[in-house]
Amino acid sequence: MQMQVVGLTTPQEVYVASKDRKFRINELLVLEDPYQGNLIGEVVESNSYNRFIPLSIGSSIHDADVLESLKHLGYSISEDEINIAKVKLITEASFPVVTGSSVRLPAFDEVRGHLLKGVREDGLLLGEIKNTEETAATMEDDLKGLCEMFSGGKLYKTKNVPFFLDLRSFQQYPHIGVFGGSGSGKSFGLRVIMEEIMKHGFPALMLDPHYEMEFSESQESSEEKRDFKDNFRKFQIGEHIGVEFLNLSRGDLLALLSAVSPLTEAMSSAIESLHLRGDTYLSFSNRLELLSEALEMGRLRIEQALKQDMEPMEREKYIKMRQLLEEYQNIPLPSVQGIAWRLRRLHNSGLFSHDIKPVKEAMMQGKLAVIQGPIWLLQVFSTYLLSNIYRKRRDYKDGELKGEASGDYFPPFIIATDEAHNFAPKGRDAATKGIITEIAQEGRKYGVFLILATQRPTLLDETVTAQLNTKIIFRTVRASDIGTISEETDIKAEEARRLPYLPSGDAFVSSPLFGRTVAIRVRFPHTRSPHTQNPLDEIQLHRESSEDKLFEAIKPHLPIYAANFARAVEEINRHAGANYEVRTLKAALDTLVEKGKLTRKASPLGDIYQATDI
Amino acid sequence: MFELNANLKQTFEETAKAMRLRLQQKPSVDALRFMVVDRGIGSFRMCQKLDCRGLSSIAQKGRIVGVDGSTNNAGGPFPYSFTLQQALAKVCSSKEEDVVITDAISPLTMKDAITEEEYRDFIKRNLAELEVKAALEALDKFNPRVVLLDGSLVRYKIESAPMWETLKNRALAQDAVLVGVVEGISTNIISSCLEDALELGGFPASDWEILFGLLQVGEILEIVPGLFKEGFRTFFMRSSLDPKPIGIDLLEEQQEYLAEVSNLIFTLTPQDGRGIPLWLDIIDKNVRITDAVMEGLLNTYLGEDYAEFLKPKRERRQM
Repeated sequence: MQMQVVGLTTPQEVYVASKDRKFRINELLVLEDPYQGNLIGEVVESNSYNRFIPLSIGSSIHDADVLESLKHLGYSISEDEINIAKVKLITEASFPVVTGSSVRLPAFDEVRGHLLKGVREDGLLLGEIKNTEETAATMEDDLKGLCEMFSGGKLYKTKNVPFFLDLRSFQQYPHIGVFGGSGSGKSFGLRVIMEEIMKHGFPALMLDPHYEMEFSESQESSEEKRDFKDNFRKFQIGEHIGVEFLNLSRGDLLALLSAVSPLTEAMSSAIESLHLRGDTYLSFSNRLELLSEALEMGRLRIEQALKQDMEPMEREKYIKMRQLLEEYQNIPLPSVQGIAWRLRRLHNSGLFSHDIKPVKEAMMQGKLAVIQGPIWLLQVFSTYLLSNIYRKRRDYKDGELKGEASGDYFPPFIIATDEAHNFAPKGRDAATKGIITEIAQEGRKYGVFLILATQRPTLLDETVTAQLNTKIIFRTVRASDIGTISEETDIKAEEARRLPYLPSGDAFVSSPLFGRTVAIRVRFPHTRSPHTQNPLDEIQLHRESSEDKLFEAIKPHLPIYAANFARAVEEINRHAGANYEVRTLKAALDTLVEKGKLTRKASPLGDIYQATDI
Repeated sequence: MFELNANLKQTFEETAKAMRLRLQQKPSVDALRFMVVDRGIGSFRMCQKLDCRGLSSIAQKGRIVGVDGSTNNAGGPFPYSFTLQQALAKVCSSKEEDVVITDAISPLTMKDAITEEEYRDFIKRNLAELEVKAALEALDKFNPRVVLLDGSLVRYKIESAPMWETLKNRALAQDAVLVGVVEGISTNIISSCLEDALELGGFPASDWEILFGLLQVGEILEIVPGLFKEGFRTFFMRSSLDPKPIGIDLLEEQQEYLAEVSNLIFTLTPQDGRGIPLWLDIIDKNVRITDAVMEGLLNTYLGEDYAEFLKPKRERRQM
């Protein structure tokens, strides 16, 4: 295997040719320059060329018969090809590389610094660096086969160099963007990242609008069974966690209500005056309801009502109404109604019946807290939650800096979310945008890090995008998104061109830590998402099991005579607790006949349904 | 456009007319074919493309080897010239190493003083010798059935007689068929046999002229023994759609293989090519020493300043 530098060279880029070895994109090569010593380069383009099979049509070489005959005599023209790679030097050379320099594959130690960053124990093992088999063979044994890969329908131990994202480096480069279209492996990637964070016991919080971040079921096919039952806790908003109304600041309340539906100017000022310190949900909502009723009735009718005889409770209510009316006479009725409606919607979601203590507890224990809920509610809630815990961390850290280590300890943490463009959208407002932007800009100081995944990086707020130091980019097809990615990362033109063709699970990692783009393949996750069942399988499975159930219900009542359906239905319903009707029972029986579980026999009294003899 | 010189134009017109006239005087294809047979010059025969079985039966007896050489000159006027020669014997296999023999010559490094004429002659002989050497080595190394040499076998006999004898004897002993494939036919033996019948305005005709278009694709003209080059058997073949045939030499001792060899060459020649077996074209491409290589060598070892000194003025022409 001989490789050498050919053609015109520059200090940044050379061409390398080989007769018997095909080059693979992103592999590292050592160029042995006689004057500058060994230089490390990365293959960015790989071509093969056969000088006997030219591109021009009408050339005599295209006589397939002759080629076939030569092959028969032992010579295959296709083997007589030249492989050419375009190689970019990782660090610019002082002067052009000497043409003719020989080229070889690196031993692991020569390129360790380019492939591994930080200490292995502090790294998140995301997968393998693609096309590094040969180099990986010279790696120390405890780096070999660290994770499982899934490709081409097969599961195997990696043969490549492992890819670690150094957790320690988060202090320097705190935020991560994960980009990729649907089916690109982005969700898997996110899952792997979260698993790794859990392995390190780093407190984290994940917003999960898809209800897919479940880490308790390990992969069946995987050799090393591992789950994270004890490392994460799942909370559904309104079910397990919520907002303590009493602790809501006015700002929080405004944010919450506007997250349901944007507030008008009038509503906002109405809330300003209506919400009082120490309000509970009950006191606040009562005030709203009463005021709304009062505004509807008007002062005159309230006065009139008070003149009549009534229960003391009733009277008290009217007095209160009069009082409110006097106090808030400038607030228009529609505003009050609008606020009340928004508040009711929040209440109905269960938001006010719980608090965020369990989340904080989980994080204090170094666990991952997964917050699930429909996206609108997630937005509302996470605004409150993120501000709350971020403030807690900030207060502690600021106190520490000022030398007043009095505040309660709250650990550094990671916030992760999919569909990040919903939480910090470009060009429009969202409740969460403020807090996410704030964390993006100054979270580093406090050890609060973001992992934002989205399939539409173009729709993500630019201030936030600019703060994402490390980007993991999966297959992206949309031109506008590729454009955004090219602008925001150090990804090369050659790589940007490959983005639409990346296989699912392959990604480019652009990180200032590596100083170049690294092509990786994400490892096989230890756990699986609850959504991996194919809808088609689901339907078939459901159908079969419902047929079985039906058959079991019917069995004791066989044979069933068509003339006597009404009674059969009654009996089956009584015994099996089902509710068939004559029509649906007939259809169901016919289906079972079709499946061969029953047979239908014609008789003078109509059809008879019997069990099929086996 | 330039105004074409009137005199030039006239000369051209006259020449073109003469050429056309000469071609019109050439007897028809049928008449020529009749004459060739009638006068006992040779006989026509069709060859066949070999199928897998045919190829296998040859491959069983041994490999196919092709031999070719290349010369390139660099430097300046005599005696500053520098000649690189290379001969290649390549076996029809993707796995085996080729036999490569190279030589570098310059009048300045020769023992005896030499004239330019002698030097040119020496180069010619040396190349033939290198090719024969490569063929010899290939005989040892690959134990071939067929050795295709680029060019007439007679050339080796003339230019490298002692080596050629060794090669010939070794080939006969090993039962390896030596085949010379001639691209440009430059003989005029057929034409001289037909001289009286051809009235081409008093000018002698050459063989390629007669053979042009005479054969059908895949047809050969077998020349009777003894008429051509002594010790060899020669036949002409139209191996592709190109109407100009190629010439093929065999050793007289191996003439029994004529049919086998002609079928093989026909099989290995691309239909729409210029008629040379693809294998020889591949070897030609491998062996060729390009000007770029020569220039690179010269610049590297001589230094650009000296190379510049040697460079003929005409190479600096810009128009």
